[in-house]
Amino acid sequence: MRVELDELLFARGTFTLRGSGTFDEGVHLVSGPVGSGKSTLALLIAGLLRPTGGAVRRHGISSVQVLLQFPEYHITSSTVAGEAASWGLDPDEVLARADLVGRADDDPFRLSRGELKRLTLCCAIMQDPDLLMLDEPFSSLDCTAKQRACRMIEGRREGITIIFSHESAVLPRVDAIWEMENGTLTGLGGVPHAIPRWRHAPPYLAYALNEGARPENIRLQDAREALCRIRD
Amino acid sequence: MIRITDLRHKLLDIPDLSLVARHIAVIGPNGSGKTTLLSVCAGLEEPKRGRVQILGKPPSAAKIGWVGEFPDRTLLFSRVYDEIASTPRFRHYPCTRADELVRAAAEAVGIVHLLDKKVSALSGGEKALVGLAAAVVDNPEVLILDEADSHLDAGTAKRVHRIVRESPAAHVLWCTQSMDAAAEADFILFMDGGRVRHHGTPDEVFSALEGTCFYPTIWRLRS
Repeated sequence: MRVELDELLFARGTFTLRGSGTFDEGVHLVSGPVGSGKSTLALLIAGLLRPTGGAVRRHGISSVQVLLQFPEYHITSSTVAGEAASWGLDPDEVLARADLVGRADDDPFRLSRGELKRLTLCCAIMQDPDLLMLDEPFSSLDCTAKQRACRMIEGRREGITIIFSHESAVLPRVDAIWEMENGTLTGLGGVPHAIPRWRHAPPYLAYALNEGARPENIRLQDAREALCRIRD
Repeated sequence: MIRITDLRHKLLDIPDLSLVARHIAVIGPNGSGKTTLLSVCAGLEEPKRGRVQILGKPPSAAKIGWVGEFPDRTLLFSRVYDEIASTPRFRHYPCTRADELVRAAAEAVGIVHLLDKKVSALSGGEKALVGLAAAVVDNPEVLILDEADSHLDAGTAKRVHRIVRESPAAHVLWCTQSMDAAAEADFILFMDGGRVRHHGTPDEVFSALEGTCFYPTIWRLRS
């Protein structure tokens, strides 16, 4: 299973997106500033936007899902349970995992933004597609929900997961890091080798690197362990 | 000063709270009432019971700059320039004055290059920045931001923090899920289940939250 970007080119107005590279099975993190093209890239990889040039080639992938940045864009039902069912999932199971038990009959728009995000994120992950793209999955979530989301992402046994995010406190274990800047996608390679090259590294990771530590992965606990090793 | 007395509204239950600090961060789990508190303080919702006074007057009489958590719901106009110009225009400022204010706000937020763009063509983070420029354009007395930073990368979030710090507003009420950002505030309210569980300086509040994931990441590394 893999996704290949072959000289992908997408132009709209003054904005141009370019990218080449291969997304293998595992968890990929794409980071980059606001407006750098992260969401556009997600839509291109999902086939929801047509490239101006080059191609997105998906090999051995039979199902694709994109979680959009703003959870309200996903809503098609007037109840939380109906919303879960619209993803083809068992509402009871979704509500339990999204920590929304007792909210089945509520209007999704009566949920707080974080609760709504929890719902759509759970649905997207529980659908378990071969290729899962998560656009800012952690925005609006509190730290407990972010940790739970990370465990769900890490719990995907197979398939390709691509996270587009600038989260800087709670991140999952990832296999590879990519950066978007001014529309250009750059692959930094596999973790841990990619970590010191990561310009958008969160403050705790930058701090650990600066102290001379070499974290194995990008989570806070990895930074702590690496620091602990050099301090002993 | 922001004074809250006997407030009962939706899940909010705040018997008595006086806030004198300028930069106030509101933190807490999802669904703890942060947005409801902010919208009552902004005068967007009238409390069922109790009273909120902002600078000695009801919120509806204060000049409030509001940046909501759903940028798509708060942006009214289709062109970025018109969105930022809405407050000066609603206040019947002369066109030249309105234009000066719009350009100054866009400059401060770093979105001059977006002024002629359609709002619908912007990225999520850019929409949040447009919302911020529209909120600060006419120097509000109180600036209220509801997780405006959750759509922003670290560099852009820093720029927003600078704008917030430099704004002449008497109070900035700022709800965030970034504890590293909250650690820089003058005062913190930690909400849980509609109540203010902890309030005080970042040191005071975070010492009560040590061992939870609400403790700032950098503090955890240094300890």
